Amino acid sequence: MNAESVIFEPARNSLEQFQQECVANLTECIVTRDAQESALQLSFVLKSLPAGEIFAQDHPGLRSLIHAKTDRPIRWSSEGTPAESSQVTITLAEALIAQTGSVLVTARCGGRGGSIVAPCHIVYATINQLVPDLQTALTYLSRERKLEVNSFACVISGSSRTADIEKIMVQGAHGPRRLVVILQTKT
Amino acid sequence: MSTTPAQQFLRDAAIKSADMVHREIIRRGMESYETVHLKGRARIKDWEAARQQCQEIKREAINHLDHYLLQFEEKVIARGGHVFWAADSHEACTYVRDLALRLGVRTVVKSKSMVTEEIQLGPVLEKAGIKVWETDFGEFIVQLRNEPPYHILTPCMHLTRDQIAQLFREKLAVQIESDDPGYLMTVARRKLRQAFFTAEMGISGANFLVADAGVVAISTNEGNGRLCTTLPQSHVIITGIEKVIPRLEDLAVLWPVLATSGTGQGITTYSTLIGGPRQPGEIDGPEEFHVVLVDNGRSRLLADSEQREVLHCIRCGACLNVCPVFRHIGGHTYGTIYSGPIGSVLTSHLAGVKEFKHLSYASSLCGACTSVCPVKIDLHHHLLQNRRNAVAAGSQAVSERLGFKLWRYTMLRPQVYSIAGWMMRALMRMINGLGLTATILDPMRKWNRDRAPVPLPQKSFRALWRKGLGGN
Amino acid sequence: MQKKVSIFVPCFVDQLLPQVAIDTVKVLRRIGYSVDFPADQTCCGQPAYNTGYWDDARPCAKRFVRVFKNAEVIVCPSGSCTTMVRKFYSQLLAGNSYGEEAAAIAHRTFEFSEFLVKIAGITDLGVSFPHTVTYHASCHGLRELGIRDEPLQLLRKVNGLKLVDMARLDECCGFGGTFATKFADISVAMGTSKAESITESGAEFVTSIDPSCLLHIQGILGRKESAAKTIHLASILAREGS
Repeated sequence: MNAESVIFEPARNSLEQFQQECVANLTECIVTRDAQESALQLSFVLKSLPAGEIFAQDHPGLRSLIHAKTDRPIRWSSEGTPAESSQVTITLAEALIAQTGSVLVTARCGGRGGSIVAPCHIVYATINQLVPDLQTALTYLSRERKLEVNSFACVISGSSRTADIEKIMVQGAHGPRRLVVILQTKT
Repeated sequence: MSTTPAQQFLRDAAIKSADMVHREIIRRGMESYETVHLKGRARIKDWEAARQQCQEIKREAINHLDHYLLQFEEKVIARGGHVFWAADSHEACTYVRDLALRLGVRTVVKSKSMVTEEIQLGPVLEKAGIKVWETDFGEFIVQLRNEPPYHILTPCMHLTRDQIAQLFREKLAVQIESDDPGYLMTVARRKLRQAFFTAEMGISGANFLVADAGVVAISTNEGNGRLCTTLPQSHVIITGIEKVIPRLEDLAVLWPVLATSGTGQGITTYSTLIGGPRQPGEIDGPEEFHVVLVDNGRSRLLADSEQREVLHCIRCGACLNVCPVFRHIGGHTYGTIYSGPIGSVLTSHLAGVKEFKHLSYASSLCGACTSVCPVKIDLHHHLLQNRRNAVAAGSQAVSERLGFKLWRYTMLRPQVYSIAGWMMRALMRMINGLGLTATILDPMRKWNRDRAPVPLPQKSFRALWRKGLGGN
Repeated sequence: MQKKVSIFVPCFVDQLLPQVAIDTVKVLRRIGYSVDFPADQTCCGQPAYNTGYWDDARPCAKRFVRVFKNAEVIVCPSGSCTTMVRKFYSQLLAGNSYGEEAAAIAHRTFEFSEFLVKIAGITDLGVSFPHTVTYHASCHGLRELGIRDEPLQLLRKVNGLKLVDMARLDECCGFGGTFATKFADISVAMGTSKAESITESGAEFVTSIDPSCLLHIQGILGRKESAAKTIHLASILAREGS
């Protein structure tokens, strides 16, 4: 049952499509060449945010990314869950999806709260995590049995929003107002 | 003497049909939907193939519902979750209430679920002393107004920003400085955030129950579904049994189609999958996880091979958005939880709501609903079948039944038909001539009250044909 | 041998709008068909069928099949009545002796505009109608029979006719058979919205392939004292040439 390739236009260039979709769904996608540039871009984003605690997924990649780049207090996922007053969460992702400009996270990516509690969510990902479409991402979840060890997964496509008032779209409903993806082309 | 739902409907429809302010608000809403929906469809290369595939997925699920539900249940239980099979509203509400009381729940945060409206869970919990916060922005607003949602997807589309600002002033006891939608949303966000962080139980619905992975798919744009299922210690999902789908990969087409049909988006912002309570090694998530599978008449519909496909509905709201009847009377006039075409088709089949047959008649059968349904439910033909079933059950007025017997007698006899036609025209010409049009004596008063009288020629076509149109 | 068609005249056209049938015959003859009118016909049964009285509709359907038994081709100037025969007769008459005949008759029954364009292969009738006209896409014709382009193809070839678009041309006018009187308030509200679209288009005439829509729209326009008038497609095409 894979007529899906007939239904959706296959992506010619995944990175380009991902970037285009991010523009459309208001995800800020920052493409970087290497870890050094990623760390720099991260520091810029952090500077633009109001003062407050960072909640970060405890992972060596993130430890080195954030290391010494900020003097904000950092609460790691190994220490607990994000505080209500956290200004920003920083996590990895399971995958990025070009078709819809999405980030796929599971419970391992800083818990369920790691991508929803703070007004800004920053995702640090590498180009090899970019998959062309939802089909591929879902097959990946099944094949890797991710849902057997994670009680939660989420395909996040943009910032939190609502159009309940007069069908006018406004950002920053209950979830993050800003979703930032730092996409590093060198793995 | 109480009013029947049918009488109430006619009354409300009369009022709303004439309400030009209401019509303008709804027209704008529906036009904006049309724009984004068409844009969304353009994103999908082959929309008809997408609909076809969605129909096939749901058909497979519904035709093997027991198998897939059991598969789903097994996986949820293996992860430490609980599954409760509720035959009806009463069983479902009792289970949730008793669970909440046992867990010492004082506050509930709730994300959108039409089924919870259907089973009327809110009043049951309130009566047990439990405070329920609707967290979907639109639902939060109608909850403050103490009225039901206006539309499956956009609960307060009938309100202006002005009205909402005033509502917040009155009900939230906060200074409201502006009616800007972004500002109003921030006010609601602050209020509800307190609820999210203190509630002991989160209640949600389900968009899909994925059988092979044993997970529940919950989609929101606001992120309220996420917070309801992350922060409180317990999570309860209330869902109709028909929400099941066979495979996780079915979401590759169902998610985009649901979003496109609902709001014109490529996919809903937070498309979440939840399989159970917090697992070992996870840092957060509820300790208790319960799925309440609600029947409430669905298995009876399942047994009806002609109308079973009505259970394919994925609750996208597209049929409401294109329905000209909905456009002119609005969601509240239906007087039911599910309004619009799907509501008109479905409501009579759900437990305890037999008296809504009139909704199947309150349609011109234009078929716009059927043409947009992403799972290809033949909605307007189901309305016809509902009508046939209503007549067969003998529920129509005696005068109407006799009327059609007379009609049938006439139509089977060309000479009787000719004479009857001639007499009717002559009678109406006389009524009009005497100035009795639209009075109680006018047999066509229902037409003539608001419309110019129909033409009443001296001769019918067949009379003219006899007189000499016949030569080729 | 001259080409032959039989005309199926909806009961309300026969009684209230005979000109529509007269014009249909005129057009068919002009393009070289001899037209037979089986005078025994009465009604296709749609009013009863639509209201749920299938047991009362069934004998009418059987009768229709008998009356048109020998008709090689049946043409009808109504999208909704053509739909009744083409789409609903086989279900209505399934499982009885008329089942096969019902299926057969469906294949030989055509709505007027689709007959002209798809069967007779004609779009230019050499007629003239120097007015502004807007087209209302009647629901049955559009969604049940898939008739979308044929009426427009025919209208575009009429000399002097200026075709203007109407907003929401495919939104239901609100007639809906017994709906028009059972739920008169809603029906009139829908008709009023349609009348507004017509007025906004600036057209002098609104046309369609369904006389029941036009009857309802005329009822609304008449009350609003609108300048716009209704005219069936056949009546435009029956005009003399330039």
